[in-house]
Amino acid sequence: MLADYEQVLIAAVICWLLFVTIDVLFRLPEKGGVSGASAIGKKIEADGGDLHGGYMMGNIVSSPDASAGTLLAACGVYVAGLPGGLAAAVLVYIGNRICHDPGYAGTTGAVLASLMVAGLAGIGFAPENFIAGMVIAILTIQGLSHRYASRLLGSLWGWRS
Amino acid sequence: MAELIALYICGVIALFAALRCLIEKDTYLKLPYLNVMNFAVAGIIVLVLNHPLSLLAAVAYFVGSTLEANAIASAKAGGVQND
Repeated sequence: MLADYEQVLIAAVICWLLFVTIDVLFRLPEKGGVSGASAIGKKIEADGGDLHGGYMMGNIVSSPDASAGTLLAACGVYVAGLPGGLAAAVLVYIGNRICHDPGYAGTTGAVLASLMVAGLAGIGFAPENFIAGMVIAILTIQGLSHRYASRLLGSLWGWRS
Repeated sequence: MAELIALYICGVIALFAALRCLIEKDTYLKLPYLNVMNFAVAGIIVLVLNHPLSLLAAVAYFVGSTLEANAIASAKAGGVQND
């Protein structure tokens, strides 16, 4: 049984890998889904960042994507187990449709994250540590340095395309 | 105990993101910081009250705030004609 702070750090790494992989696979860095997301991408590029990384950050701002799906699925598993996580996936899909987004990335992220969090809860990981882990993971992308985060996402998108 | 650690982490990150959002001058660049704060607050809503209905509250808060960020950015960028 790992200590809580170790669980939070491991959860942050797993959540980061999960949501970045799903977002890049669903082509979020390709273009802005709405005009606001494109504008955020172009502004980040003008500040010395990467355009495609900026588009992905703009899309994360503008619609619940795999990162929001992962957070809300962890919340769902925390309050009601695996059914709660799957309920969160349905709610994320509705949220995506409200935000002018097809909803594939957010829903896929929420379903995979519920299975992951519920599965790891079986071997001793507490679901609340995944909530904290996902908040740390989104902080590293959106909240520390837009320039370097967008360059990292841009280089991942370079491998994908 | 684990809830408290997760709650403190979310609280500190929410405050940090809110401060960076206040310090940042450009509206477009404020929004990613605001997004981090929304993630942290949605987590806090569920961690404070462990009840199935808290999930609905967290999703309603998160989707609503995301839609607002979307609306602010898109309205500033010139609206739907650019899509």
